[in-house]
Amino acid sequence: MDFGFTPQQEALKQEVRQFIAENVTQEVIAELESAEEGGRGPNYRGLLLKAGERGWVGMSWPKEYGGQGGSRLNQYIVEEEFSRVGVSVGGAGSGAPAILAAGTEEQKRYFLPRIMRGEAVFALGFTEPQAGADLAGLQCRAVRDGDEFVVNGQKIFTTAAHYATHLYLMARTDPEVPKHKGISIFLVPMDTPGITVRPLWTIQNDPPAPIGTTYGQRRTNEVFLEDVHVPVSCMLGEENSGWYVGALGLNLDRVGASRYLLSVRRDEDIINWVKDNQFGGFSPGQDPAVRDRLAELWIEAQVCRLMTMRSMSLVERGSKFSYEGSAEKVFSPEHGVRTTETITQVLGPYAQLMNGSLGAIEDGLFAHNVMGSFQSGINHGSVQVMRDQVARRGLGMPRG
Amino acid sequence: MPKDPVCSKEIDVAAARTTTGTTRFGAAEVDPRAGTRSFFNGQWYYFCGLECRTKFLATPQTYLKQAGS
Repeated sequence: MDFGFTPQQEALKQEVRQFIAENVTQEVIAELESAEEGGRGPNYRGLLLKAGERGWVGMSWPKEYGGQGGSRLNQYIVEEEFSRVGVSVGGAGSGAPAILAAGTEEQKRYFLPRIMRGEAVFALGFTEPQAGADLAGLQCRAVRDGDEFVVNGQKIFTTAAHYATHLYLMARTDPEVPKHKGISIFLVPMDTPGITVRPLWTIQNDPPAPIGTTYGQRRTNEVFLEDVHVPVSCMLGEENSGWYVGALGLNLDRVGASRYLLSVRRDEDIINWVKDNQFGGFSPGQDPAVRDRLAELWIEAQVCRLMTMRSMSLVERGSKFSYEGSAEKVFSPEHGVRTTETITQVLGPYAQLMNGSLGAIEDGLFAHNVMGSFQSGINHGSVQVMRDQVARRGLGMPRG
Repeated sequence: MPKDPVCSKEIDVAAARTTTGTTRFGAAEVDPRAGTRSFFNGQWYYFCGLECRTKFLATPQTYLKQAGS
């Protein structure tokens, strides 16, 4: 089996690289690194529009909703090239897969074109202070009142809440049934009365992390919902099916280049740095221990990539996709941690110098990566939860 | 005025809920230095800060018994 790209796909890759060189400007990067914009300001949206004009956003989405109806692999090629410079373009991780899978016709026609233009951005309102890994224990309530639900509750670590247009909200709609079966999902405009947002600042905030060094962001949030009136039409999927719709959406959103590249990009960075630099006239690449560790990382990186390609292949063929994304979400972040350990050993104290410090290597890239690599094993589903999903869905083990 | 169920300090609810601005798409923002709150078993509880709230959420029944709720 040949895992390489066709000549047409190679040409697409080169075209995207050229586009990035010409259009990912310092203004775009500055915006992506800002805490308040979360990278979604006017320069980013301009870039998204230009990419959209070339048919590179939502390439695999159906044409009736503004997509290209094309290959998921082509979309991956675009995502991979943009991910290399820390820019999210393509449509992965946008919430769109869940809307395509479970949304009403009206929701698909409203949201998908807006997601492509950067005009609809979701904040994931799942985690609560006492419901993270045990998400099904969430306390946020949505009580039916005619054509509306009235929502009361609190979310935490809601990363995009300060620049999102909508909250992708998970709430309990039936407290009388087993906890997994009484949950629903709503797509709630952020300007709905009763929603308040409170900032939480992450370890990436000061000094600011260079773009692409971290899975998390500089700012995350708490979100409070108090007597928030949400029309029934905002519900995604059937009432009380939210646990399954949410799991499906997260699983589909895990498929894509950024997941794989997040851990692998640092491999490439340290390998290139070792090849290009010397310590006191001695190249670290001459050290057998360094060569051994870097070769090991490169081998692991190929496994990460193949896992991602397999997930995409399953999605593209419409095959059952249940635990594969979870397995990928274990291996890639933990590979990132192993990469970080190696970088720390190869560079010694230089690996600890942050952005802005005299002597910082690559603007503190590797120091920020220490924090980012550990974040990636927690955010968007911890590796422990992912292992549990592999055990249940992949190995057929009972729920613990 | 409600009391923090952990430290029993009286909480100024108005201050905890005072908005300091809005997000780019219209959600109200509140002052992170003011008190906070949490929704538990169908009702809001107010806290002087995150430390008390974290203690409460770890073992809520302990503090609800102490408060006689």
